[in-house]
Amino acid sequence: MNALRRRFQPEQIRELVLIALIIGILIFFGTQIENYFSPRTFTRISTSVAVVAIVAVGQTLVILTRNIDLSVGSIVGFTAYVVGTILSRNNDIPPVAVVLLAVAMGAVMGSINGLLVAYGRVPAIIVTLGTLALYRTILVEISGANSVLTNELPRWLVNLPPVNVLSLGALDIRLLFFIALLVVVIFQFIASYAAWGRRLYAIGSNPDAARIAGFPAQRIVFTAFVLSGALAGLAGFVFLARFGNITVVAGQGVELQSVAAAVVGGVNINGGLGSPFGAFLGAILIDVIDNSLIRWLAISEFWRDALLGLLILLAVATDTVIMNRLRKAWSRHELQISGSEAPVEKGGSHHAA
Amino acid sequence: MPNPTEVRPVLEIRHVSKRFDATQALEDVSLTLYPGEVHALIGENGAGKSTLIKIMTGVHRPDTGELLLDGKPVHVNNSQEAQSLGIAAIYQEPMVFPDLNVAENIFISHRKRGMIVNWGRLYKDAAAILAQLDVRLDVRMPARGLTLAAQQAVEIAKAISLNVRVLIMDEPTASLSAHEVDQLFRLIGALRSKGVAILFIGHRMEEVFRIADRITVLRDGKLISSRVRASAAELPSQREQVIREMVGREVSDFFAKIEVPRGDLLMSVRNLGKAGVFTGVSFDIHAGEVLGFAGLIGARRTDVGLALFGIEPADSGEIIFNGRPVQIKTPEHAMQLGIAYVTEDRRGLGLTLPMSIATNITLPTLRRYLNGLGLIRRGDEQRTAEEYRDRLMIRTPSVNLEVGKLSGGNQQKVMLSKWLNARPRLLILDEPTRGIDVRAKAEVHHIISDLAARGLGIILISSDLPEVLAMSDRVLVMREGRQMGIFTRSEATQETVMTAAMGQHEPTLAVQP
Repeated sequence: MNALRRRFQPEQIRELVLIALIIGILIFFGTQIENYFSPRTFTRISTSVAVVAIVAVGQTLVILTRNIDLSVGSIVGFTAYVVGTILSRNNDIPPVAVVLLAVAMGAVMGSINGLLVAYGRVPAIIVTLGTLALYRTILVEISGANSVLTNELPRWLVNLPPVNVLSLGALDIRLLFFIALLVVVIFQFIASYAAWGRRLYAIGSNPDAARIAGFPAQRIVFTAFVLSGALAGLAGFVFLARFGNITVVAGQGVELQSVAAAVVGGVNINGGLGSPFGAFLGAILIDVIDNSLIRWLAISEFWRDALLGLLILLAVATDTVIMNRLRKAWSRHELQISGSEAPVEKGGSHHAA
Repeated sequence: MPNPTEVRPVLEIRHVSKRFDATQALEDVSLTLYPGEVHALIGENGAGKSTLIKIMTGVHRPDTGELLLDGKPVHVNNSQEAQSLGIAAIYQEPMVFPDLNVAENIFISHRKRGMIVNWGRLYKDAAAILAQLDVRLDVRMPARGLTLAAQQAVEIAKAISLNVRVLIMDEPTASLSAHEVDQLFRLIGALRSKGVAILFIGHRMEEVFRIADRITVLRDGKLISSRVRASAAELPSQREQVIREMVGREVSDFFAKIEVPRGDLLMSVRNLGKAGVFTGVSFDIHAGEVLGFAGLIGARRTDVGLALFGIEPADSGEIIFNGRPVQIKTPEHAMQLGIAYVTEDRRGLGLTLPMSIATNITLPTLRRYLNGLGLIRRGDEQRTAEEYRDRLMIRTPSVNLEVGKLSGGNQQKVMLSKWLNARPRLLILDEPTRGIDVRAKAEVHHIISDLAARGLGIILISSDLPEVLAMSDRVLVMREGRQMGIFTRSEATQETVMTAAMGQHEPTLAVQP
């Protein structure tokens, strides 16, 4: 235990625990479900996690700044539908342009959120709840309730999901999952090594100190929302490629799933703590449970939402109870090794309770 | 005024001591409150007044000693119990519920008024209490939007509704205008004639001597004196005596700044002001000089610091920095000029507690640590942090430890490192030794002296009078947003500075509104 303490920060422990949990759950279902450990299971989970994982990374950036982006589900649906419609009318648009279009559309929608939150000083939960409804309504209005159909889409897009980037033994890394992996790696890197990432954490941990340290907090919060929108746009493209048939309700509920993935993955809802990688693990954990339960008990859609809710509650509860204890244990320990004097605190606030 | 020998005391505090870690907050303090008297409690910041109030209201329990109510020992465990015993406190900032109306606020603490609110009776009773106090206030009006004085009237009415016998007033006049003070004193008079014992904590000498029947001085947690207010003729000499008693600490206990030759003029400030906050602040500061800012709580010294660093910019007056007139509107701008501000609010404005020592130190200067790709050169960052750890003797096993885990003194040094790393020419230190232990304090004093010797200009805002006197080349004294004067090292004594801080001194520089 002591060796463990010396090597890892509490947050890293949390990620290790998540990985252990995922492995434990896999082993459990392996004993329950016939043929569970097959390449097919891996492919199924990895493709289904791609959309939520990409959105969860964007969501993490926003939550790190003490905000939240509830509009991502509508942005995913909007871009998937609009890009799909454009493609069905013009099959010749080059793939790169299609991806860029989806990302740009998402970024524009994200920038509206960002403007209102960072510069308009409207609480993020209000702004994004508003745009969640607004973007969806615009989609319903322009679609006339028609759907995008797979047979109208260009062949390259329809054939995208089974494309393999590489194979690890019998396990295939599909392109869509690879895109998600790439997003996680890039943003994990930015979060830990780029100045922008460092400032993101600083703003979430202590907005006042960030202001005094003299960096543009508003612009950073704005950028976080733009990136969250852009990633939701990218997820919209992945969504389109994966399903082909897009209705006006596409992407509904992704906002909840992305928040759940982030929170389960150790991103503190009050900002300043957590990482894109953690959110990715959270997304995987949720998807593994979700996918496996359906195969195991054939549970209904309704129970899946209940499960998601339960996981969020569990994650937050462990965060407040267990992580706090861990942190305390850690600091006691470290103070012992440092042999420094006990923290000196001035007693209480000026006012009586 | 009642004669203490005939009247039985309401509340007696007997030999109370209280210790917080290293600080002896109260040592064997005894105080007696009689019905119908106004008892003033005065002392410097940190003399133990707040602790004494908190013991009376049940926030803290004394280590030794006891409280007697009507001659019987009582144990007060929380403010609710204090209230039921008839002890209540009101503070500088009244604690009213802005969305409830006046009547609801007055009766907020009543639990025996039944489950269902009888609105008619509530309003009638509230109006009756306000009428007793001769306060004209619509009881149906929401408390939001009431003036501070009106809010205090509501709090006093609340105390009366609870049949309060001892009312503690903690600097109730600090935010009031002269006219509002008159109103408040009228209310205090009404309470006194109802037989309520009032413990009045105040910083303004003229008010204390106007309202108090008795005056008690606390210093360093000890009771220094307790006396009946003198007659008008003897009042001036009594005032002087009281001020002497308040400040009697030894300056020689402190490390004194090493004298260095004064360098070039760094900054001139003329008539700096911010509407409603401070006005008429004028001073020069040179390289290698420590300019102390002395004053009591509410003197607005911190606000001047915030203005000079562009956090809450000033709106009048001029600043000439390094020979050029400047308008400092943002912290970025202040940093570019070479000004750094080390806040008194370590946890709020100063440090990002969950982040490591190294990341905290480089936060304002992160740009210097980026490579061509905009990525942080962690090696350099680490080296900088280790340099400061060695130079300022930050006691930690690693610079990657979360700052929140360090002791107060070490946190203070991290904050200093953070701003020294910005390579300032003018360093504003706001309460740099508050809440840190003696050893860390001495180390911070050495650091300050050393920095001045290296040619930094330093503004030292401190409520610790002996510290200011020992560390400063000159001392600027403020009182309630006004500059009361600048004293040279030889002129500045505890008496002269405290007298100016308490308003017994005419401003030496012109003050323009």
